Amino acid sequence: MSSLTRTLISRGFSDLEMCERFLGFPELAGLDTVELLDALSVADNPDMALQSLVRLLSAAPQGRRLLGHVDPDTEDRVPNTPLFRLLGASEALADFLMRHPHNLDVVDPAAGPGAWATAGELRDSLLRAVGADPSSGRPVAQLTGAEARMALRSQYRRHLCELALRDLAAPSPQDAMPLVGAELADLAGAALDGALAVARAEVGATAGAENVAAVRLAVIGMGKCGARELNYISDVDVMYVVALDTDAPAAGGLDESGAVRIGNALASALSRAIYAPDREPGLWEVDANLRPEGKDGQLVRTLDSYLAYYQRWAQSWEFQALLKARTVAGDPELGQEFEAAVSPLIWASSERDGFVESVQAMRRRVTANIPDADADRQIKLGKGGLRDVEFTVQLLQLVHGKSDPRIRPRATTAAIEALTKAGFIGRTDAALLFNHYTYLRVLEHRIQLVHMRRTHAMPTAPAQLRALARALQGPNGSKRPSAESLEADWAKVKRSVRSLHERIFYRPILATAAHLSAEDAALSTDAARARLAALGYRDAAGATRHIEALTAGVSRRAALQRQLLPVLLGWLADGVDPDAGLLAFRRVSDALGTSHWYLGMLRDHQAAAERLCHLLSSSRLVSDLLEVSPEATAWLGNSKELVPLSFEAQWTEIQAKLSRHSDPMDAIRLVRLLRQREILRIAIADSCGLLEPDQVSAALSDADRAAVLGALHVAESEVQPAGEKLTDVLVVAMGRQGGREIGYGSDADVLFVHRPLAGLGDGQAEAANQQAKALVQRLTALLTAPVRPAIQAERVLAIDADLRPEGRSGPLVRSLDAYAEYYARWSSAWEAQALLRARPMAGSDDLAAAFTAMADPVRYPAAISAEDVLEIKRIKARMESERLPRGADPARHVKLGRGGLSDVEWLVQLLQLQHAHAHPELRTTQTLQALHAALDLGLLAAEDAEQLEAAWRLAGRIRNANVLWTGKTSDLLPSARRDLEAVARSCGHEPGSAAAFEEEYLGLTRRARAVFERLFYG
Amino acid sequence: MNRQQEFVLRTIEERDVRFVRLWFTDVVGSLKSVALAPAEVEGAFEEGLGFDGSAIEGLARVFESDMLAQPDPSTFQILPWRGNGKSEQTSRMFCDVLTPDGEPSAADPRNVLKRTLAKAADMGFTCYTHPEIEFYLLKSDKPGPDGVPVPVDQAGYFDHVPGGVAQDFRRTAVTMLEDVGISVEFSHHEGGPGQNEIDLRYADALQTADNIMTFRTVIREVAIQQGTYATFMPKPFSDHPGSGMHTHFSLFEGDSNAFHEPGAEYQLSKTARQFMAGILKHAPEFTAVTNQFVNSYKRLWGGGEAPSYVSWGHNNRSALMRVPLYKPGKGQAARLEYRGIDSAANPYLAYAVLLGAGLKGIEEGYELPPAAVEDVSLLTSAERRLMGHDPLPSSLHDAVRQMEESEFMAQVLGEQVFENFLRNKRDEWQEYRLQVTPYEINRYLGVL
Repeated sequence: MSSLTRTLISRGFSDLEMCERFLGFPELAGLDTVELLDALSVADNPDMALQSLVRLLSAAPQGRRLLGHVDPDTEDRVPNTPLFRLLGASEALADFLMRHPHNLDVVDPAAGPGAWATAGELRDSLLRAVGADPSSGRPVAQLTGAEARMALRSQYRRHLCELALRDLAAPSPQDAMPLVGAELADLAGAALDGALAVARAEVGATAGAENVAAVRLAVIGMGKCGARELNYISDVDVMYVVALDTDAPAAGGLDESGAVRIGNALASALSRAIYAPDREPGLWEVDANLRPEGKDGQLVRTLDSYLAYYQRWAQSWEFQALLKARTVAGDPELGQEFEAAVSPLIWASSERDGFVESVQAMRRRVTANIPDADADRQIKLGKGGLRDVEFTVQLLQLVHGKSDPRIRPRATTAAIEALTKAGFIGRTDAALLFNHYTYLRVLEHRIQLVHMRRTHAMPTAPAQLRALARALQGPNGSKRPSAESLEADWAKVKRSVRSLHERIFYRPILATAAHLSAEDAALSTDAARARLAALGYRDAAGATRHIEALTAGVSRRAALQRQLLPVLLGWLADGVDPDAGLLAFRRVSDALGTSHWYLGMLRDHQAAAERLCHLLSSSRLVSDLLEVSPEATAWLGNSKELVPLSFEAQWTEIQAKLSRHSDPMDAIRLVRLLRQREILRIAIADSCGLLEPDQVSAALSDADRAAVLGALHVAESEVQPAGEKLTDVLVVAMGRQGGREIGYGSDADVLFVHRPLAGLGDGQAEAANQQAKALVQRLTALLTAPVRPAIQAERVLAIDADLRPEGRSGPLVRSLDAYAEYYARWSSAWEAQALLRARPMAGSDDLAAAFTAMADPVRYPAAISAEDVLEIKRIKARMESERLPRGADPARHVKLGRGGLSDVEWLVQLLQLQHAHAHPELRTTQTLQALHAALDLGLLAAEDAEQLEAAWRLAGRIRNANVLWTGKTSDLLPSARRDLEAVARSCGHEPGSAAAFEEEYLGLTRRARAVFERLFYG
Repeated sequence: MNRQQEFVLRTIEERDVRFVRLWFTDVVGSLKSVALAPAEVEGAFEEGLGFDGSAIEGLARVFESDMLAQPDPSTFQILPWRGNGKSEQTSRMFCDVLTPDGEPSAADPRNVLKRTLAKAADMGFTCYTHPEIEFYLLKSDKPGPDGVPVPVDQAGYFDHVPGGVAQDFRRTAVTMLEDVGISVEFSHHEGGPGQNEIDLRYADALQTADNIMTFRTVIREVAIQQGTYATFMPKPFSDHPGSGMHTHFSLFEGDSNAFHEPGAEYQLSKTARQFMAGILKHAPEFTAVTNQFVNSYKRLWGGGEAPSYVSWGHNNRSALMRVPLYKPGKGQAARLEYRGIDSAANPYLAYAVLLGAGLKGIEEGYELPPAAVEDVSLLTSAERRLMGHDPLPSSLHDAVRQMEESEFMAQVLGEQVFENFLRNKRDEWQEYRLQVTPYEINRYLGVL
């Protein structure tokens, strides 16, 4: 290994081959290589410094004298450290110095690093650069056009070099970051002032100088510029306020609209001076999109016009944006008038309606995953990024700022300090937050500085990562940190930022409730409640009590919950009813608190814990069931456990149970427990969005079927002991159960059939009938009778046999032959219609086949008489007026109301009765399948079928959503807003869309009803 | 508590206000009022005032009857016809109707208009309206011996009646209107005996609707004070013109009138043409709202100036929509006049559907049919059909049928108001059908 290679490595160079090549270039001839390499080693990225140096010397040979000087005392050659630091940090600024070598004096060692520039100095300098008089109230440039752009931009970049030099010389870049951000904002403001002077000259040439002089224009900085924490390169967000100076000589000839017109021209010219393409590239985009009405709004407005807008139209986020508004250029008095006028509006905004919603929307926006493929390389928007810190700080400002003016500073770093002083953030957390914020900002700054590009992505090349790691240490860092160490540090910061949000926002609530250590910020009770209320907890006092109970004591559970609760509180708050969620969590936790897997799951399995919080705060059904079977919580950690069990699997399990338990009541209890368990599983999977609505119905039907089959077996063993069996019994599902379209808590509509065993004597026919009757009565009783120990929170499966021939007055069970005879002789139209949905559910396959063979000719008649069709229509018409519960609004009844389930089903069934004989595709017990078949056959127009299907699906979902949310069966679209919100979310709508959801349902069913009336009643 | 609310509470204190009336309207536009003691006002601002919505026509059904009235402090006004001079004043505020959860009630007509205006704002428009309200002054609310109402005078259009009751009446009424902050542009005697017209100055559409509600109350109060009776019934006399409420509409984009385009035909911008096309296209669907009573159709089809066919024209007094004469240099005053609406309409719903139709025209870029140049009512029906001048509904029944079919109406009114309104109107038609009218008695009793 040559000694040069070794030297290069020890000085921190990466691409040795390239460096050796560059060192041989003539520009460096005559320089001592080792001395040069030593000098270059102070750069964060020595490779880049070397390349830039060669290019610089080639463009500006006079730069050679700046490489170092001889110390007069020691006579040692001292390298020009600032120059090398700059070359190793920014290619873009090196390019600038090459373009304009006369600016090289900024790195003259004789000049020294210089103090931080004030806003006034920068403004004066940039105004003078374009030949404007800084002392004038409305300075006008002497330069215009390309000349002005060149002068303004190169002077800006000269100051940027000075600023970068100071930044690079700061012993601790993180400590210097707020100063850097402030000076960058001041420099941007100065550039805007310079550009405004140019604009005044340019617009004056066409609109008359005296007219332009009569127009006052203030540039209000928003975002980071307003907050005085700007990046090296970013859009500068502004708004323009215009006013007519009535004292100006030309004012007489100008009215307000004239002033607005000139203001518009000034703003456009200003933006051109800053950003229009030219030989010296543009600085940054001047972005005025935060103005009222955004892109479509007027570019400049008068103060009155702004106020009129803000008082009348503005939305919450616009007030949040105004938090950062500050006059950055132009007429300072006008700007201050603006600030003074809008500031009361900002803080009054938190009293507006919908503040909680907007805070929640803000939380969602922040926590929403960034779709970007390289999200995990994002310093700004990624998880644990800058945006998270800013959000935490702004949220606290909004929640507490209206009562406490001390915490209203615009800049993030200043706000952290103020919040700490006011006691809203604990000292330790504040120090961490500050540290993380400046850490991330320094990363961002140094990444942007290289090419002056607007990027927030962490580089991937190891050399760049090493340079960044070095940059974070500052110029005096001794070791050369590795790329890996930077990645590790950054990951740590990201993790910490994520948890800090929870810690800072929620932990003080806990501290207040649970009297934790003094280290945490001591929130007053009111402040803690304000935070809970801002999250959407309605009963903040109650919530505080639950938190107290959950965190009190020295048990392992309490200790763990103290750790976890800050996160859980946030997740619970995402649900519709955080209060109920917290209470339910407390109950589940009381039931399970000591089982180690539960604590383990909460601690280690974030997705499961998040799911649990979601369930508890959005579903009463699940909360109630979890309370009695808390062990089901374990499923949450494993998505496989949330796949509904197939009917076969359930039946295998039931058989195993029946074989072990000979006592019928013991056996049926286990069957019923199994059904309850499966319902819970389905409800959880449904609430977590893992199941489609069709799958929910099918799974619920399977669970009921398994239970009925189990009950049939138990009843058989009781009523037909060995050797006494006279007949086979078949349970046929009817109605929605027949179509596998049931919801939570649906009754099982059934029809019982039996067939006496072959070879029975004549006298035994009646006995067989009696036995069948006893059997089905027993079956019904087994499913509903109380058992011991009682099954808590059970939703018993009620058996409803009212759809049998002759309804309630007919015999409960008939033999197959009796049915055949009945249907042949007496059957009325509605009985044939009811049979359309008949599906054998439990009993022998043989009998099932025989039953189907008997039923098919009845339900799929070769021809249906006009009288029968009319009869069906009449029954439906009568039902509409009679069956609707008293006082119910037909528009909101999902089952019997207009355009609801029953409308669609009757229409489909009528089509089946009329056409299923000719078209076997229509022979199905399922509504949608039949509807689709009818569509394919051309019996329905496509748009009609679409309306019907949409209404039917939505009505079904609402039924289920009602039960999930309240735990009670209801066929009404709720009208209370919160219930509606919960149902809307359960049906897959965005939070906050209750009213839109209601409109959607009412409109959909109104149109479906119109289709139904046209097609059914004709 | 915001500033406006504080202002109201302070005024109540300073002006010695004894009663605060909270006003809102039912679905047909009848004013509902509940009086509060000053001490209760603060609570009403914070939590709203609970009431039984099912008792109010078209607001709620029995099973969801709890509602809240929340006063809108920007509408606070001392009522000059109550109280004695400087003390013991009565005041009023309009209310938004809220559900018990504090959400705007979908059944509140004022909310329907607010929603439409919010939509306009999203499209970048503010809506201004300027109504010309006609009404009759009668000797009493009872008909005369011949079964016909008795007007206070026998004068005609613009007539000056020396020592006339109507003149006194208009002077007092206009003064009182100005006292409650409603600017009056114009007032004069109209065509029918005892018929008067008062034009309100243009204002933001919501404020205009509030003003119309106040206006009706003021007019009735003044009439009573003077021993007469004022009626807004659309057509009280078979032989005299009905009472319309022609309304001028204009949209503003920021500070400029969006209807004005110098140099275009009639100085009408594309926006104006599309707005007008929207109103004309949907007019038959929304007539049930703008002309909501059985009696309204006696005006629409009673001849005279009332427009009965879908048409527009420049200064054509037979047209449903009119482009008023353009005065040079008055670009900001560009506007469109809809002449179908009558004085008994619910102003909130009527303006919501009219603006909604116009906005829809803009949104979907409707084409405006050619202007009608002749008097549309003098054309033969075949001519009218050829020229696309469809008739407006001929009766309330007809109007309800057309509204039932209209997706547009369901969208503008919201499903609930749509349904409640239709239910109310079907009931009204049903009741009307059961009546044997004096016409039938006179015509048939003697001969059959």
